[in-house]
Amino acid sequence: MLENLKAATFEIFETMFFLFPESWEEGQMRFAGAGLMAWTPVTGPKSFHIGLVVPQSLAQKMAKNFLGLGEGGPEWENLEDLLQEAANMVAGTFLSREQVSQSYRLALPHSARINFDVNQWQPHDQHLLFMVDDHGLEVFLERTS
Amino acid sequence: MTYNVLIVDDSATMRALIRKVLVISGFATGECFEGGNGQEALDILRNNRVDLIFADLHMPEMDGAAFLKVLRNHHHWRSIPVVLITTEGRPEVLNPVLRQRVQGYIRKPFQPETIRKHLINILGEAAASHVGKLEGCDF
Repeated sequence: MLENLKAATFEIFETMFFLFPESWEEGQMRFAGAGLMAWTPVTGPKSFHIGLVVPQSLAQKMAKNFLGLGEGGPEWENLEDLLQEAANMVAGTFLSREQVSQSYRLALPHSARINFDVNQWQPHDQHLLFMVDDHGLEVFLERTS
Repeated sequence: MTYNVLIVDDSATMRALIRKVLVISGFATGECFEGGNGQEALDILRNNRVDLIFADLHMPEMDGAAFLKVLRNHHHWRSIPVVLITTEGRPEVLNPVLRQRVQGYIRKPFQPETIRKHLINILGEAAASHVGKLEGCDF
């Protein structure tokens, strides 16, 4: 299952954001300061969330690559919208790769702003960690029922 | 001739990306309208001439499938070409939607060039003839 989640992550980041994640098993803290979490609920016989956790710096890089922006960072609202779309694409690609039945449905994505310094970032139970151009990226699958 | 385009997607950044691809493709865009869901798209259609629609499937309030149903049962709008752009890739979910006379289907993630290919398929080379390929593309 996590292998398909990893493949979905690579596909989305490489195709839509022109970024190339590298698996990151061990290493120093790459989540500090302001960040974002976005997740897409999947409902069906088993319900779960598929989501992403990124520092603000990576979200900004994703936005710039996605829209071909020059200097001048995108607004927070745009970063949240972008990360929701990223979570949605990872979830949709994951479901396709898993070949799950139509009884599984993608719900609308959500997002939240995070301050890693205050929240003491801890990865979710089922997660993948990546390095993306020196930024941390967590992709998670969280069962909700 | 220019073509009025309606982009229906709940993600503002995805709408911006599609709009940008239309511009750098050299597509002869007239007005470019945007709606965040099917209901907003119908409101735009009531007041404007639209020649081509790009629509997402998963959206709040009125999703892409419900929007298509209204569109295809309307005497004025039924012939407007629709290209579906969605993360959904499972045939059993997609096929019932595609049967509602959808002219194109693009699965996210997609290369910007994919949009241009669909434009040419639907509207012909003349509609996207200003630029040979995605020259000047900064993606």
